[in-house]
Amino acid sequence: MSNNNSNYTNPAYSNGYEFSGGAGYELPTYPFVTPPELLGAPPTIYPVVIVGGGMSGLTLAAGLAQLGVPAVILDEDNTVGVKGASSRGICYTQKSLEVFDKLGIFERIKAKGVEWHIGRTFAGNDEVYNFNLRDRADFKLSSQPPFINIQQFYIEGYLVERIAQLGVVDMRWQSRVSACTSNGDSVNLQIDTPEGNYQLNAAYVVDCTGTGTPFHKWCNMPVSSIKRDDRWCIADVRFKVQPPTERHTWIEAPFNDNRAVWQHLMADEVWRIDYQMRPDDDPAYVSREDVLRERLAKQFGAQAECDIVWVGPYSYRSQLVERMNAERVFFMGDTAKVVSPFGARGGNTGISDADNLAWKIAAVHHNRAPAALLNSYHQERHEAASVNVQVTARTTRYLRPNDGAERLFRDATIALAKQHSFARALVNTGRMAEANPYTRSGCCTYNHPLVGRSVQNVAFTWCNGQAAHLNDLLRWANGNLLLLWFGDLPTTSAGKLRNTARISGVHMVQVVGKVQQTSAVEAVHDATGALAAACGAQQWALIRPDSYLAATGQTANAQLIKAIATALALP
Amino acid sequence: MTHMTTDIQLNLEDADGFYEQLLDAHLDLSDKESALLNAKLILVMANAIGNSAALARCLAAAKA
Repeated sequence: MSNNNSNYTNPAYSNGYEFSGGAGYELPTYPFVTPPELLGAPPTIYPVVIVGGGMSGLTLAAGLAQLGVPAVILDEDNTVGVKGASSRGICYTQKSLEVFDKLGIFERIKAKGVEWHIGRTFAGNDEVYNFNLRDRADFKLSSQPPFINIQQFYIEGYLVERIAQLGVVDMRWQSRVSACTSNGDSVNLQIDTPEGNYQLNAAYVVDCTGTGTPFHKWCNMPVSSIKRDDRWCIADVRFKVQPPTERHTWIEAPFNDNRAVWQHLMADEVWRIDYQMRPDDDPAYVSREDVLRERLAKQFGAQAECDIVWVGPYSYRSQLVERMNAERVFFMGDTAKVVSPFGARGGNTGISDADNLAWKIAAVHHNRAPAALLNSYHQERHEAASVNVQVTARTTRYLRPNDGAERLFRDATIALAKQHSFARALVNTGRMAEANPYTRSGCCTYNHPLVGRSVQNVAFTWCNGQAAHLNDLLRWANGNLLLLWFGDLPTTSAGKLRNTARISGVHMVQVVGKVQQTSAVEAVHDATGALAAACGAQQWALIRPDSYLAATGQTANAQLIKAIATALALP
Repeated sequence: MTHMTTDIQLNLEDADGFYEQLLDAHLDLSDKESALLNAKLILVMANAIGNSAALARCLAAAKA
C-alpha cells in the first residue's frame, strides 16, 4: 500500500451512515448507572479500561471477565449497534465462532444466524463458477461451521448479556471519553456522562472506539491511510418470497450497469444486498427508498415484494496504525486498521485482536507474566492487520479495475474461469478472513510449520467417553498455557513435567489414543488422532489460551521449559 | 550466468514454429480481441509456469 502519513490528521471520512434510511432494526437499550466515582468513591486505578462497546471491545470485555480481570468498559451510546445504522458486519468466520464458543455465546449465535454452503459467482448473464463449502475438508476439524451470517448487533447483544452474567466487568453506558493523558505508570481518562464528568485511572486502556477514534491524536499515533473512490450502497431487505439460500456474487451485474452486486442472507430472513455504485454517484440519492426500490426491481423483478429494513451508502478506505499500542494505550479492531469489507476481514480481525490481548492482560494482571508479554500483541496483531489490509486491497483492485490493462486482465480471468478451474483462483471477489498466522512473534518458538497458527476447536473424548473439544481444555486452563502430551509419558518425565507445570501455571493433559494407564494428572482420548494432527503430530504441544500453537516438540527437555518461558515472555 | 536468468535463456523447442502459431492465433482479430487473447494467454502461461520466483523474473525481463 502507498502510505500517506499526513492524512490521518484530516479524517474527512464518512462511512455514509448519516444517509441511512429504512425502517431500521429494533435494538435493546441499556440504562445509565451512576458510577462509584460520581457517588464520592475514592479514586482507584483499574487494571483495564476498554473504550467502546462494539464487537472488539465487548469481546475483550467478555474475555477479561471470564479470566477474572475486573475491567471497566465504556460506551458513549446506550445500545449495541449504531442507532439507525445497526446492520454493519454480517459474517462471522470459524475462528470467531470458536472464540464465541469459548466465551459461551456460540449456541445463541448458531440458533439465530444462518449458514450457507453454496456460493455462485456471475458475470453478465453467465455463471462463472460455483462452490460448496461442504466440500472443503479444511473446515471440518472444528466443532464450529466455516462461518455464520448474522447481524453484528445480535452478537454484541449476546456479549453484553454474557458480560453481565459473568459479573466481573463493569459496563458503563452513555459514558464518553473526552480526554486521555498518560502518567507513566497509568492512564487518566476524562469521562462525560448525563450525570456529570469524572476521571478514571487505568493501568491499561484499550481503544475500541472505531474508525473516528480520538485516541490516535491523543497518543500521537501515526496512521497510514488510503481513501478509495469505490462506492457501494448497502441494503438490508426482507422479501415476501425468499430467494434461494445461496450467496450470489456478480462481478458484473447486468441489472446494475455491469457493476458488482452481492446478495447474502442474514438472521430474521433479512437479505444484505450490496450494490457497487459509480464513484461520482450522490450518496444521498442512491440511498433514497424510491431509487433503491428501482434497483431491487431490476434485480428481482417488479413483482418481488419486500420491506426495506436498512439502507446506507458506503465508501471504502483502508487505514493502519503504525503500532498496535502507544505505551499503555492499545488499539483494537477498527481503531487499529480499517479495511474494505471483502472477506469479512474487518469485524473478524477485531474479534481475534480481542482474543489475543485478553489472556495476555489477564496473565500480567494475575502476575503470571511480565508486562513484556503485551509487546507480542503488536508483533502478532500488526502482522495480521497488515496482511488484511493487503488482501482486501487486492480484492478492491479486482472489483474496481482501472480502465485499460487492469480491466482487460479481469475480462481475461472471467473468460478463462468459465472453462478452466485454475483461473477461478484469479477471480477475486473477496478472500475469507482466516485465523492469521504469526510468523515473527517473540512469544513463539518456531520449530514446526504449525507454530504461530491457530489450532482448530478439535473434538476428542474425556476418559468417561463424553464428547469434548479443545475449548473445554482451554477453559479449564483458565488463561494459563495448555500443555498436551501425546501418548506414553515416561515416569521420569512425568515428575519433571508436573514440577514444571506447577511452577509456570501450565495446565498439562495427557492425550492417549485408547483407554490405557496414564500417569498425567489429566488424560483425554483422541481416538481419531485429530487433536494430535492439528498440533503437528509431535510428542508435546504448547497451546495458548487464544488457541495458537506456541511451540511443539519431541522430548520433555530444556527446550520445553524454554518454550514455556518464551510464550509468557518470562526473563 | 546464474540461476536468476535461467528462465530467460533459450528454452523453446521450436522458436519459429511457436512464433508462427502465435501470429496465426491473432489473424483476423480486432485490436480489442487481440489484446484479450494476449491477456488470456499470459494467464494460461503463468499458470503453466506456476513458480512465483520464475514469474517475477519473467515480468522483470519483459519490463527491462
